[in-house]
Amino acid sequence: MNEIALVFAAELGRKVRSRLFWIATLGGMLAIAVLIEAPVFFTSIAQSSSNDVLLAGPPSLVARARVMLERRRDYRVVGTVADLPGRVTIAYLRAHGHAGAAIALSERGRRLHLDIYPRDLSAFDGAQFRDLVPLSIELATGAPVARVERASSIERTIHPIDEKFTDARTAALAHDLAFGLVFILYLAIIIASQSVMSAVAEEKTSRIAEILVATIVPANLLCGKVFAAAAVSVVQAGAWLATTAILVPFAATSPVFASTVAKPGATGPGSFGIDPALAAAFAAFFILGFLQYATIYAAAASLVSRTEDLGIVTAPVIMPVVGAFFVAQYALVEPNGPISVACSFVPFLSPFVMFTRMAITVVPWWQPAVALVIDALAVAVSFWAAGRVYQVGMLLYGRLPTARQIFAALRA
Amino acid sequence: MLCVDRISRSFGNVTAVRDVSFDVERGSVFGLLGPNGAGKTTTMRTILGIYAPDAGRVTWNGTPIDRTVRRRFGYLPEERGLYGKMKVKDQIVYFGRLHGLGAASASQQADVWLETLGIIEFAKRACGELSKGNQQKVQLACAVLHEPDLLVLDEPFAGLDPVNAATILTCLRALAGRGTTLVLSSHQMFQIEHACRTFCIIAAGSVRESGTLAELRAAFPVRTVRVAPDLPAIRATFAAAGAGEPVVDDDGALRYELPAVTDFGALLRAAVAAGPVEEFERHEPSLSAVYLRALQQS
Repeated sequence: MNEIALVFAAELGRKVRSRLFWIATLGGMLAIAVLIEAPVFFTSIAQSSSNDVLLAGPPSLVARARVMLERRRDYRVVGTVADLPGRVTIAYLRAHGHAGAAIALSERGRRLHLDIYPRDLSAFDGAQFRDLVPLSIELATGAPVARVERASSIERTIHPIDEKFTDARTAALAHDLAFGLVFILYLAIIIASQSVMSAVAEEKTSRIAEILVATIVPANLLCGKVFAAAAVSVVQAGAWLATTAILVPFAATSPVFASTVAKPGATGPGSFGIDPALAAAFAAFFILGFLQYATIYAAAASLVSRTEDLGIVTAPVIMPVVGAFFVAQYALVEPNGPISVACSFVPFLSPFVMFTRMAITVVPWWQPAVALVIDALAVAVSFWAAGRVYQVGMLLYGRLPTARQIFAALRA
Repeated sequence: MLCVDRISRSFGNVTAVRDVSFDVERGSVFGLLGPNGAGKTTTMRTILGIYAPDAGRVTWNGTPIDRTVRRRFGYLPEERGLYGKMKVKDQIVYFGRLHGLGAASASQQADVWLETLGIIEFAKRACGELSKGNQQKVQLACAVLHEPDLLVLDEPFAGLDPVNAATILTCLRALAGRGTTLVLSSHQMFQIEHACRTFCIIAAGSVRESGTLAELRAAFPVRTVRVAPDLPAIRATFAAAGAGEPVVDDDGALRYELPAVTDFGALLRAAVAAGPVEEFERHEPSLSAVYLRALQQS
C-alpha cells in the first residue's frame, strides 16, 4: 500500500470514529428534515391559520364570496354568520372554527367593502382579496361575475428563449436546485476547512509532524489527509442529499409544502427530479472544488504553531469560498453575463459558478469541459504549492513565516 | 556507512551548521554532542532529508539518500509526538506500515517491541493515557519497528528515569548488535559515553572535535592524578614535576592536573621514593571533560 493510501486509510478511520463526524452528518440530516418537514408539521398542528376565514354579511353575498375565495384554495372558509359582534375577540374566532380572521362583507356606494378582523395583523398586510374583484365590479356595473372574470383574464403564452426548460415552473425549480446544491458545496467546504485545519494543527501541536515528514513525502501526507477529508465530505453530502431526496417527495404531497417551500403548483414527486448529467457535473465540480480549497486549508494550518492560533489564518483562506458563493448567486441572476462566463473558468470560483450556470441555462459543451480541465490543473497546482508550504510550515514553530519564506519554499 | 560531507545550512541570516563532516560506520553507535543551539537537530534533520543542505552532501553507503533509502531510516526527534486518541499498538503498526512493513508483519513486530519495552499491557490503551516514560517507549517502538538501517535519536534519554533509560539503552545496544547504525545526541554524558563508539562535538554550527573516545582522550592536553597521603615530600615531588597547586579531595587525597606528555611512571617512582604512597591513580579525561574543553575552544 503506498503512502497516500496509508495516510488516507488512517485519517479516514480517525475521522469516521470521531464524534464530530457523526454530529455533523446526523445533525445535518436532522436539520434538513426539520427544514423540509417543519412547515408541514407546524401547519398541521396549528389550531388556526391566517388562510382560515369566517365570513359575515348578507347570505347571498357571503355564498358567492365563499365560492370565489375557495376556488383557488387561497382561503378556506371555516364558517359563515349573518353578523359579527360589536367587538370581535380571539375567543370569538376560536369559537368559530379557529378562524384566522373574521371578514364582514357589505355593499357600500355600489362597491364591495370588507371589514377584516385578523388574529395576526401582519398576515393581512397587503392582502388584496383579488379573487373578489369581479364581485365588486358586478355590484358597481351590474355585469355578471362570470362575464367580468372572462373579460378580466388575459390569455398568455410563455415562449422560452433558452432551450434548457420548457416551462417557467421547471425553470424556477432549477434555480432552487442550483442554489441548494451550491449551498451544499459551500457548506461542505466550510465544515471541512475546520476539520482539515484542526487535524493538521493537532499534528503540529503534538509534534508528531516531524516524525511524519521524516518518514514520508510531505506532499503525500497532505494528499492522504485531504483525500480523506474529501471522502468524508462526499459521504456527508450524500447523506444530506439522500435525506432531501427521500423527504421532499413525501412533503411535496402536502398543499402546505407547495405554498411554503416549493413554487406554487410544483407538487408531486416528479417535480424534484435531477438530470443525471447535471448530477455527474455536480459530483465532479464538488470534488474538484473541495480539493482546491482543502489543500489550501491544510497548508495554511501548517503555518500555525498552536490550535488556538488557527483563527489567524482561517479568515484569509475562508474569504475566497465566501466570495465564490456570492459570485454563484450573481450567476443565478445573470448566468450568461460576461462576469459569470469569465468566472466559470477561474480556479476556486469555477466549481461554484460553472455548475450554477449549467443548472439554469444552456452552456456550450466545451465550457464545462474546459472548466473541468482548468479545475483539475488547479487541484494539481494546489497540491504542489500546498505540499511545499506544508513541508516548511510543519517544522516552523513560534511565529508565522513571512511571505518571503513561503515564496522561497515554493521556489525550493 | 553514513557519510556527512561538509554540509552547511542557513535559515535566513542565521547559519545553523557550517561545513559539518563526519562518517559513521555501519552498525556503530555515534554520539553527536553539543550545547543547545549548536546545530545538532539541524544536522540530524539534514541527514534524514527533512532539510536539504545549502552546501555539501549526505550519502548512505556511497549513494545519495533518496526516498527508498530514507524509508529504511528511523527517527526519534527531540520534540516527541503521538496521536493522543489512537491506541498504542495501532500507532506503532501505522508507523511501521509507513516505513514499508506489511500489515501482518507490522502487527507481529509491534507485539515483539511492546513486550521488549515492557508496555504490552498498554497495547489497547489510547496513547494520551500513558505516562511520559511509557509514551517515550511507544515513540521508540514507532521508530524501530522496521529494524532500520540507520536510527537517528535526538535526546533519547531526556525526561526518563534511570530504569526506563537503562531499558532503552539496552534496546539500542541490541539494535546496534543486529546491524543498525545509530546516531544519537544527548546531554547525559554518562549514558552517551558508554553507549557510543565514536563522537562528534559541535558548537555554533561547526565541528570542534570528532573521533573515538580514545582518540579524543589522546588529544586532551592534561591528565589528572590522584595521590595519597597528603605529605610535604609528595607535594614537593609533584611541584618538581611541574604540577600546579593540588585540589584536596574530601578524603584528604591530592588531585593534580599534569600535561598529558608527563612521564607518569617516573613520577610514581619519585613519589614512592619521597614517602609512603598509599594511592597513586592516573585518570583519563571523561567525555564530559573533553566536551567542556571543546566548547571552550573558539
